[in-house]
Amino acid sequence: MTVGEGQFFLYSYLTPALKAGHYRFTTSQQLSATASDGSALDATDLSVSGLQTHLDVTAPRYQLPPDQVLSTYPPANSEGSYGSRLPQIVMKRRTLPWERDAGTGDDKMPWLALVVIAEGEAELVLNRPVAECVTPGVHLDGAPDVPQGSYLSVRKSVIDKIFPTQKDVPLLVHAREVDITDTEMMMGDDDGFLAVVIANRLPVPGRDPAGDEVPVKYLACLVNLEGQIPALLPEAPAAKLSTILPLIEVEYQPIKVAEYDHIKMGNDPAYQKTRISADVAAPLAGAVAKVSAAKVSPDPVAIGQTRADQWDLAGAKSAESVYVEMAAPFGRIADVSAGRFDRTYRFPVLIHWSFTSTGETTFQTLMEDLDNGLLGTLPGIRPFGDNADDPDRTPQQLDGRPPLEIVETGHVGLGQRTRLGDQVRCWYRGPLLAHPADTEAPRLPLAHASDQLRIVVPDGREDLSLGVAFEIGRLLALSSPAVVTSLMSWRQNGYQVARLGTVWSGLVGELGAFLGADFAIAGDLGVRFGRGLAKAVTSSPNDVLGGPRELLTPGNPLPVKGLPLDLVIDGYGLAAAKVPRGDLLSALESLRVTPVPRLPLTGLAAGALTTTVRDELGGVLDVTLTHLTKGALAPALELNPVLGPTAADWKPAARPHRDALDEILDSGAKEDES
Amino acid sequence: MKLDGPTLVSELPLTLSTQVYEPVVVTDDDADSTMPASLRNWLVQLRLLNGVPFANLVPDTELLPEESIRWFYLDRRWTDALVQGALSVGTVNSDDRTLLTAQYDAIRAELDQEERNVRRPAGSPRYGGTVDAVSGFILRSQAVAGWPGLHVRAFNVDPAEGDTARYPEDDPRRMRLLRLDRLAPAVLFCLFDGIPTVVHIEEPRQGVQFGFDATGEGTDLTATLRPRDKTTFDYLPGDPIDVPFRSAEGASGVVDIQALQAKFADHPETGAVDGLDPAEYALQLIRFPWRQVFGDPQSTPVPQVFQPVVQYAELVGTFRVDR
Repeated sequence: MTVGEGQFFLYSYLTPALKAGHYRFTTSQQLSATASDGSALDATDLSVSGLQTHLDVTAPRYQLPPDQVLSTYPPANSEGSYGSRLPQIVMKRRTLPWERDAGTGDDKMPWLALVVIAEGEAELVLNRPVAECVTPGVHLDGAPDVPQGSYLSVRKSVIDKIFPTQKDVPLLVHAREVDITDTEMMMGDDDGFLAVVIANRLPVPGRDPAGDEVPVKYLACLVNLEGQIPALLPEAPAAKLSTILPLIEVEYQPIKVAEYDHIKMGNDPAYQKTRISADVAAPLAGAVAKVSAAKVSPDPVAIGQTRADQWDLAGAKSAESVYVEMAAPFGRIADVSAGRFDRTYRFPVLIHWSFTSTGETTFQTLMEDLDNGLLGTLPGIRPFGDNADDPDRTPQQLDGRPPLEIVETGHVGLGQRTRLGDQVRCWYRGPLLAHPADTEAPRLPLAHASDQLRIVVPDGREDLSLGVAFEIGRLLALSSPAVVTSLMSWRQNGYQVARLGTVWSGLVGELGAFLGADFAIAGDLGVRFGRGLAKAVTSSPNDVLGGPRELLTPGNPLPVKGLPLDLVIDGYGLAAAKVPRGDLLSALESLRVTPVPRLPLTGLAAGALTTTVRDELGGVLDVTLTHLTKGALAPALELNPVLGPTAADWKPAARPHRDALDEILDSGAKEDES
Repeated sequence: MKLDGPTLVSELPLTLSTQVYEPVVVTDDDADSTMPASLRNWLVQLRLLNGVPFANLVPDTELLPEESIRWFYLDRRWTDALVQGALSVGTVNSDDRTLLTAQYDAIRAELDQEERNVRRPAGSPRYGGTVDAVSGFILRSQAVAGWPGLHVRAFNVDPAEGDTARYPEDDPRRMRLLRLDRLAPAVLFCLFDGIPTVVHIEEPRQGVQFGFDATGEGTDLTATLRPRDKTTFDYLPGDPIDVPFRSAEGASGVVDIQALQAKFADHPETGAVDGLDPAEYALQLIRFPWRQVFGDPQSTPVPQVFQPVVQYAELVGTFRVDR
């Protein structure tokens, strides 16, 4: 039978074929046959030894794997009006509540129960060895599934009050079959069969002496009842038709929004103390307990922050820390005059979560109070109405920021830093429009760069919407190596074939004249051409490529004019010493005795030294300068020897940049002036 | 035969640009068309804005305040530019770009068609045609974080059956969702294949709740429950049942299930005469999920959406063992 959309089936129980535990299969085989002489063979003649196989059926016992939980209600760590709804947990494994023997011998008796406790009623202890997790004296056979577990330490008097009775336990567990195609993919159950455990207690909000609602924090624990069913009441005591709401005395401490910030962020010790004291004093539900709790003044901003804080919890913190945090207020039992005959029991806790019952936040109120509007509707102030069409509705001004610049087309003015570094304002609009898209208009022509999609609108600003879209698409593609690989291989395969086909298509007709009309060009034509060319070249390399180059070449001759010895003599300035040419020995001898001309610089005063150097070098400089100037001016002087060079003859381009000569000229001129 | 290399190369782009590519009607998710299947599937996801940074969708927080729902139309030019940007990766020279230009119309036509098939149920025939106009909403609310798995249904007409009716998945008036994703723990993003007239947002069905109608007066709280017929799931005539609680001090809110069962026994239709079993008990306690209707001026307060059926089969046969 299949489940239609919008339907589900409820099953009273789905008992597994085998409960969890160690099993031994014993296989025995008996054969009988008749021998050839007609006599019957008995079992000893045909004995087959038995086979014994061991089998473990496992099931969670001290800890429920998180992936087995489909949902919990109320949502963990949430606040809301849950006073008329029974908490529940939905598990993916349909047979889980019946996979262990609760100790009663009844197959249909579940071993799980969901109990809801208020602060101070029981103590939740986390991460203890599993041997400590059950009441001393109770022994659970079989191997534990985890080394450490959590347990709930609770007194018999409290068990009698809030735990389900022995007859209640089976009624609170059932299985459900839903249509799997009708649900959102994010839930991810495989077969549509679910096991549901319901609590037996309404998480009612508290009342203060004045009769106002006070939030009460509850902890929901999925406990293991194995072997401890007798600890529960066999029958419920007398009932009555109303229940007393927990009376909680609260001292209100009006605070401002800024102080609320400090409390939330915990950065001011004074405010932190307020918060800590609120945590320490655990209220006892049902009894009058003094609590010093911070009460936030009903300010819209502060309420918003509370919500934002709740949203963070789901994503930001690791699951471990959330579990510890949720268990924190339930770490102690309020000291009631219990007496020592009030025995304490321990129940293993498979999973726990906490929530706060308060106010009137339900799914219904959340949806009905939604600020409903087209994108671009700015948040309004509630007194002026939630209706976006209300003419009295004024946009809400947030403190500390300029008003949002938004126009009817949905464009938003944003700051932009241009490529030249200027800070300007531009228009931006995402893919989400506040008005129907023009489906008749022609589609966007292909752009190859984002700059092609930048638009300057009549007010002079740039509209970067499409350019941004282009860049986002480009960056998203680049950020995924698989996509880049796919694009590149597509280009390499597809584009090269297209290119080749285009090149050859023009030549096919002419080739057809040679080869006949019904020839076809193979796809690897280019490769074949290349191979043919390589083959032809290698078969006669001398014809195509020429001979190999010689290993050694003589090199370029040096430009020597005259005899080497004469060059040496001239080079050392020995020509004046009348050294006989062609005689190496006398040349070397005269080189040895010829003194090196030097300037007598020692013994001179500093000023005299400068003067001497200047005189000596100045003469050389003058001569060189004269030569160079004359050389530079010579063509112009030849052109016009009388008047000298004209402006037309003087070409500044002849001195494109300053060189060493310019330096000399300049320094010479300065010397003249000084 | 004349072969002029330079002329050939310089005229290549012109020759390439004259080619015309016809869009291929895709018949299989894994079959290549004008482009490889892997690339096409990725581009289709990109078309539906997968991976686009949230700040590019909603440029300012004031456009999406807390506890708000914002409706929108999708800008085709924007998503086209997005795809063009992705296609521009690796176009090195003008030949590449010329050929991309020649192919682009076929690529876009294929994507137009394929984006309807993203959320197609497995095994159903492929949708043809192209998406005309796309619309959707962004919901930012505690409800998204607290009730994961919201159901969203869109209709192109206001259904005549009223807001409480049930609609099969293949109802011709229902519009298909192109995308339904949680962008953040508290932000739901939804795209419709068309422009709906009425949209239903419904509490998740796995999270069907159990409870009573509770009223608090002073320091006391009383609760009532209307019994149901276990086979038709209809409410029984007569007064609601008062829910009994345990009377012990400190047991605030603890329901006395045994006493409740005794009260059900007064109504034989509940099946409690021969003892209540767990499925019957759950059936009595079910509270309907809330369905919020957008677009309809008159909304019905308590929609009755489901027809749960009590099932007595113990388990499907694969588990059965004869003892």
